[in-house]
Amino acid sequence: MTEGDLRALGDQALEEIAGAVDVDQLELVRLKYLARHQGLISSGAQALAQAPSEQRAALGRAFNSVKQGTEAALERRLEEFQLALRELAAEGQWLDLTYPSAPLPRGHQHPLGRLIREIEDIGTALGYESVRGPEVEDDQFNFELLNLPPEHPARDAHDTFYLEGPAGWLLRTQTSPVQLRTMMAGPPPYRILAPGKVYRRDNPDPTHSPVFHQLEGLCVDEGVTLGDLKGTLTYFLQAIFGEERRIRLRSSFFAFTEPSLEADVSCWFCQGEGCRSCLGKGWIEVLGSGMVHPQVLRNAGIDPERYSGFAFGMGPDRITALKYGLEDIRDLYENDLRLLENF
Amino acid sequence: MRVSQEWLSEFVDLDGLTSKRIDELLTLSGTEVERVSEFARGLDEVVVAEVVELGRMEGSDHLWLAKVRVPGEEPVEVVCGAPNLTLGARVAWGRPGSELPGGMKLGQRRIRGVVSNGMICAPDELGLGQDHEGVLLLPAGEVEPGEPLSRVFPPDTIYELEILSHRADCLSHWGVARELAAVLDRSLREPVLSQPQRGGPAADESVRVSIEGGADCPIYLAECVDQLGAGPAPLWLQRRLMAVGSRSISAMVDLANYVMLELGQPVHTFDLDRMPGAPGRVEIGVRGGRPGETLACLDGVVRRLDQDALMITADDHPVALAGVIGGSETAVQSDTTRIVLEAANFNWVSIRKTARRLGIRTEASSRFERSLSAALVPVAAQRFIHLVEAVAGGRVRPGPVIAGAVPAPTAPIRVSCRRISALLGLEVGPDQAAGALRRLQFEVEVSGDELQVVPAAVRTDVHIAEDVTEEVGRILGYDLVPATLPALRTPPSGHPGLVSADRLAGEICLGAGFTEAITSSLVSQERVGVVRGLGAGVSPIRIANPLSSQLGDLRVSCLPALLDACRLNQSRGGERTQLFEWGRVFWPSADRSGRPEEPEVLALVDHSAGARPRGEGEPLDQLLQVVQALAERVSLNSVEFRPARHPGFHPQRSAQLWVDGELRGILGEVDPGVDSAFELRGSTVVAEVRVDGWLVDGGRPGRGMSLAKTPPLSLDLAVTVPERAELGPALAAVRSAEIAELEEIRLLDQYRGRQLPPGTKGWTFRLLFRHPEKTLTHLQGEQLRSQVLAALGAVGAAVRAGSA
Repeated sequence: MTEGDLRALGDQALEEIAGAVDVDQLELVRLKYLARHQGLISSGAQALAQAPSEQRAALGRAFNSVKQGTEAALERRLEEFQLALRELAAEGQWLDLTYPSAPLPRGHQHPLGRLIREIEDIGTALGYESVRGPEVEDDQFNFELLNLPPEHPARDAHDTFYLEGPAGWLLRTQTSPVQLRTMMAGPPPYRILAPGKVYRRDNPDPTHSPVFHQLEGLCVDEGVTLGDLKGTLTYFLQAIFGEERRIRLRSSFFAFTEPSLEADVSCWFCQGEGCRSCLGKGWIEVLGSGMVHPQVLRNAGIDPERYSGFAFGMGPDRITALKYGLEDIRDLYENDLRLLENF
Repeated sequence: MRVSQEWLSEFVDLDGLTSKRIDELLTLSGTEVERVSEFARGLDEVVVAEVVELGRMEGSDHLWLAKVRVPGEEPVEVVCGAPNLTLGARVAWGRPGSELPGGMKLGQRRIRGVVSNGMICAPDELGLGQDHEGVLLLPAGEVEPGEPLSRVFPPDTIYELEILSHRADCLSHWGVARELAAVLDRSLREPVLSQPQRGGPAADESVRVSIEGGADCPIYLAECVDQLGAGPAPLWLQRRLMAVGSRSISAMVDLANYVMLELGQPVHTFDLDRMPGAPGRVEIGVRGGRPGETLACLDGVVRRLDQDALMITADDHPVALAGVIGGSETAVQSDTTRIVLEAANFNWVSIRKTARRLGIRTEASSRFERSLSAALVPVAAQRFIHLVEAVAGGRVRPGPVIAGAVPAPTAPIRVSCRRISALLGLEVGPDQAAGALRRLQFEVEVSGDELQVVPAAVRTDVHIAEDVTEEVGRILGYDLVPATLPALRTPPSGHPGLVSADRLAGEICLGAGFTEAITSSLVSQERVGVVRGLGAGVSPIRIANPLSSQLGDLRVSCLPALLDACRLNQSRGGERTQLFEWGRVFWPSADRSGRPEEPEVLALVDHSAGARPRGEGEPLDQLLQVVQALAERVSLNSVEFRPARHPGFHPQRSAQLWVDGELRGILGEVDPGVDSAFELRGSTVVAEVRVDGWLVDGGRPGRGMSLAKTPPLSLDLAVTVPERAELGPALAAVRSAEIAELEEIRLLDQYRGRQLPPGTKGWTFRLLFRHPEKTLTHLQGEQLRSQVLAALGAVGAAVRAGSA
């Protein structure tokens, strides 16, 4: 067998490989040319052994090249068949991927719960711990220890629900009693956030609900300043309302803080230009705050000469309503799924 | 409170300031501006006219046919319905073709066959207040016919202010001007107090004043004025009252109002000749009311007095409710010629209690109840006396008569600048601090770093160093204070890495398809009664002063409100409502007077309005799984579901959750009666679990854990059990047999069929055995399976014939 014969055999094999129509035919072609003993190409190995020594090297190279070429062609053809087979099989398994099936169960967060958790998370970043206090309080904790003696004019805004019975229990009108409870439970420093329900005897209307929420913050330590309050509120409020918001503090009055400040955020509807939502002012009032009154510190057993601190309180209901454009805060307590499913 | 910029300008120079700037200055320093509005704008087209003829319209009992005249024009006819129109009156006339401030175009109109030319205007039609009881009448001596009304009423800007509850001193133009002067660092002008020549007998010949011992009245000042004329107050005074929304009534009433609105001190005028007692002599007293006494008040209401109500008396007869409202019998009338002026200070607590108890709130009481300074009393009296001659033509008798005295100022407040700076976080030097305080009319003495501060006499709210600090801060402006963060000197409390139980529970519920709900804690009594969840057997705490019976009780369970939410969603077309709430409920203490318990509960409801979703009892299964998952994630020990009868729940489809031998939860299908009470169609499953004290195990180190490398052996076990056998106890029995190699037991199938004996059902379990060190043989596996079977004997299980 000459080198030419070998090459011709190789070409013939490639032709038959290309002509094979299925895996069985291909196997027949493989056996015909490459079967270990009788294969037409394989038997070239015997011819190689008998070839004159001066031709052996060239013949050997040709043999290897033809054999490898044939094997590679077989391999490729086989892959083609397998691919076609897989395609064929998949064809029978066609699925409509847009067909609706049972959705993965998914509940939704209540916007109010979500906002409170969001604020708690912001607080965590500043080292604030979230705490809760009782909703049933007495006059001492809800008012008097907070510098609101009976007949104090600031009590006007706190129309209070009392519980039946002689003990004089009431439903807290603010979360501020939690400040006292925290300070009385152990020594400073304190950094707490206290969200929770509060109660006022206000007739329900789009901006009033007799049950609503407050979120109180308190930070007391040595050397805490009004500047610290300003920085903290700026961080909280920009985290809640957006980095681009401006914050403004204005003088106010709360019995349990001195100085007292109200914080406004530049209106996020009109970017401070003045619109219906901010009543043309360009600012939206979002929280009350101040430096804890020395008498309140003393009432909680803390030396105001050594410690100072600030407190702030906001109304998550109102903020939720403002943030999401809710017209009536009472909707927050209806639990209409069409509202909740937006969150 | 409304203030007029024109009036404020009497006390402080506001030149060069826009209303927006004034708004901002006031708001930032604590006097919040709620609204800024314009007064007397657009009056150029209205003119002063004289009524030169007046008669009734034919066939009408209330319409006038008037002829009005302006100089240089022929008088024209106008039809007008105002009751106060008189011949010769100076009125505001809008001629045909002119436009009123509200945009109303005037023309000629035919009324009952007469052509009416334009309109004679009422104050409200001119944007000069709300008054529509009659047309605007202008004092004849002060206006000229033909003059444009814009000259009579120059434009003004009105600020509606929200005064902070501790700032009684700001309830006046003078007070607001004082604030503006301080923030602007401009000078404050004092009110003009020059006194007229007094004449006639001394006031104390007619008036004596005595304050009953212990009465809440530090000072009572009386003046007498004789020879008062009739007629209205001068235009400038009426104009200012109108600008701030106060109606002009008569010279005397207007003047008293004016002084109050200007200086903040309410003053009262009695008609001397209408006072009880000898004619022209009166013994004024200040004392508490007596049982049975009544007073006919200026508002037409007769009020019963009690000993807590502070009274002004004349010859011991009540003539006024001190600081709140005057009596009608002694009030100034159009024929009054002699008055007694009262300027007094009353204790704010007393006024507040009285006003609240009697349910009245007047301009006077709302000022007194915020603690007015007694120092205002002489100032207001002098201002009244200064004005009375010009306003009402009176002659002031030598006086005044004074009982009590303005309390002496308290000791100066000492405060160091170091302390002010430390509290503000802003370096403030003594000169800077003293300067800010002096702008507020405070007296300040500086020695080194320390200030000695005497607040302005009108201020009743500045007592301690922190109060002074606030004044310094707000006058300098909080803008100056740099924003910093407090140093975190000690590690934060709590462990931020740990997810709280409520968050975790929330995630599990959300993942199972339940939506977070927040419901009111106030519920109606009927609702509480229907389903009480964990609060069964608890009688609800009632609100003593509820807004309505719908909100009369504190909830003992979250379930009623959640079922209400289901009904709401059903009524709005919802097919399925799945809600959860993590909230407080309220249970009375054992003796009902101690602090109520406030357990935290997690409540879930799953309501399907239509047919129940695929598969029998599926929502209930799901609910069980959610509760089980929760219990596992919070690492509760020995959680057990026990079948139980619970009020409001389906007797055959509910279970109680017991944790460590305590009842902690209840879940199941609600009783059909509950469904109908809440008008719920379909089926409803609910759960309520007490969650206080739940903690999340943060995976702390400690527990050893090694995973066996040997292969498991899996065998199935088919048994028959009685129809009512329960899986929970069956599995519990297997667990308590403590078969070490049993890694897992799982129910593959439950079936009922003819092949089984009647009254039984079949269970097939898949058992997974594994030994930590050696590979189990099939024989060993079968022995272990027999142990499982033996344990299942506790629920009456027998190996099913024909199965291995």
